[in-house]
Amino acid sequence: MAAASLSGLKPIVRQHSEVGVILIAVLLVIFFVATSGGRWNNSYNISTILQITATLGLMTLGVALVIGTGEIDISVGSTFGIGALIYLYFAIRIDPVFAAMLAVAAGALIGAFNGYLITRTGTPSLIITLGTLMIFRGLAIALTSGFAFSVPYKERDGLTYFILGGENIFRAGSFSGVNTGFLWLIAGLVVLTIALKYTRFGNHLLAVGGSADSAHSRGIRVDRVKIKAFILCGALAGLGGVLEAGKLGSADGSMGRLMELQAIAACVLGGCVLAGGRISLLGALIGVFVLSSIQSYLVVMAVKPQWFMVLLGVIVVAAALGDRKLRHWAVRK
Amino acid sequence: MADAKPLIQVKNLDLYFGAFHALRNVSVDFHAGELVGLVGDNGAGKTTLIRVLCGIHTPTGGEVYFDGERVRAFHPKLAIDQGIETIQQSVGLCDNLSIARNFYLGREPVKRILGIPFLDFAKMRGEAKKVIRAFGLRDNVSVDDEVERLSGGERQSVKIGRAVEFKNRVVIMDEPTNHLSVREREHVNELAVQLRDQGLLVIYITHDIFQVHKLADRIVIMENGEKIEDASTDSMTADELEEVIRQGGRQVEKMEA
Repeated sequence: MAAASLSGLKPIVRQHSEVGVILIAVLLVIFFVATSGGRWNNSYNISTILQITATLGLMTLGVALVIGTGEIDISVGSTFGIGALIYLYFAIRIDPVFAAMLAVAAGALIGAFNGYLITRTGTPSLIITLGTLMIFRGLAIALTSGFAFSVPYKERDGLTYFILGGENIFRAGSFSGVNTGFLWLIAGLVVLTIALKYTRFGNHLLAVGGSADSAHSRGIRVDRVKIKAFILCGALAGLGGVLEAGKLGSADGSMGRLMELQAIAACVLGGCVLAGGRISLLGALIGVFVLSSIQSYLVVMAVKPQWFMVLLGVIVVAAALGDRKLRHWAVRK
Repeated sequence: MADAKPLIQVKNLDLYFGAFHALRNVSVDFHAGELVGLVGDNGAGKTTLIRVLCGIHTPTGGEVYFDGERVRAFHPKLAIDQGIETIQQSVGLCDNLSIARNFYLGREPVKRILGIPFLDFAKMRGEAKKVIRAFGLRDNVSVDDEVERLSGGERQSVKIGRAVEFKNRVVIMDEPTNHLSVREREHVNELAVQLRDQGLLVIYITHDIFQVHKLADRIVIMENGEKIEDASTDSMTADELEEVIRQGGRQVEKMEA
């Protein structure tokens, strides 16, 4: 009886790779609420988690798209930092909106550079983006010469700062609201999910990840599809950087360091197959939520932060293995 | 029967993969309304030749003419746009996508909503369903199923159905009867003849000279990247052609030794 009802779930698991991560998220939330004595599940902390989810999430959406093509982009942490710095530098000197667009464009350009080099030379994306990860991290540190860029607090008002992650909305009573960056994330998720499932671009992206040779044989321009994914990924990382800078009002050269690993971990956790062709944007974002939740749990429970890295690694390995088991079970007739 | 002017003309074609000389000075004409059997052993260059014709490989040297025009750029997209449909042997389907999505891969129909082109799923699913049923896919296979779950024969059926559905001027079949049962094999062979009778050029690749001799108007035999025979099936029997394959192989071995 129980076995019969379980196999009834197979089609759901087969078609919705995010089932695993949703299960993990629910169990974790229950665990956190039960063990933190209100230190995790209070409105201030939840609000913070959502803000972190927003900026890391935008980056993760882009990384998921690249993973969908069967490639990987580990340069996004540096792109995020460059985006933040460009935004802060030009926001006070010229205009915040212009600065934000410039930062996103710079991210797109870094993505285009990655994509072009990878498709043109046939070099593995891991190697190329490892290179650009270091190049743009180095540039960020060199340009700031160790200091932070910042926007004085008194100048951070008006609609533009509000829209670009500078404020929270939906404040209600003791709930401190949701950072406006979160709205960008939701918009990104909706638009990209529709694009992925219901447009030619999405069909081609997943086809390239499933089998680049087959996609090519059906007339799909594989290189162009990959470059587009890298451009989107860079632009989203740049936007994430803008919103993070908008929230904090300052950034230094180390902004976004190691975030690329969290983004990739969130994708794996969310049911994206690293070999390409199967991704879940919603799953990846729930993966981001899980990671930010764990991180904040460790903080409020006063666990030393270095344990987060250890835990992150363990989670990624466990998620990868568990997900394979789950899929294997679901595909079996 | 066949037009005098070739639809596809291959002249002195050479193709290297690195140092490997995969096609050696191949010249061959293909006419509309003709069923040509392309025969040879493994590694003879049959698949490589047709992969040039369908745009996957760009030749290192030589010329290809389509309908009298010199082909200057090679890409599957260009070949498909010209009306060349190919049933590839090892590629052509993405395991992670549904049958309907694979069916229309690269030529997805769209419906504009607020000016944005969205995939026309009603058309994709409807057409794909009609065709795969005609090609004998089981009733419990849905067009929404991922290709990953299909058997070898079912996968082949999807590819053949797709090529026939979108047939235009040329249908190239690379070992189309692999993975198929005896009855399905006969069905595919009948289809090849039908397409020819409709005035299309059909290029049929196989190991089995006896099978293709019954269908084809002309047999082209390849060996070590070279064309070693090009004869109408009226002028030579299957046994004679098989002898050519044996002889050809031996000659090349001698030359290389």
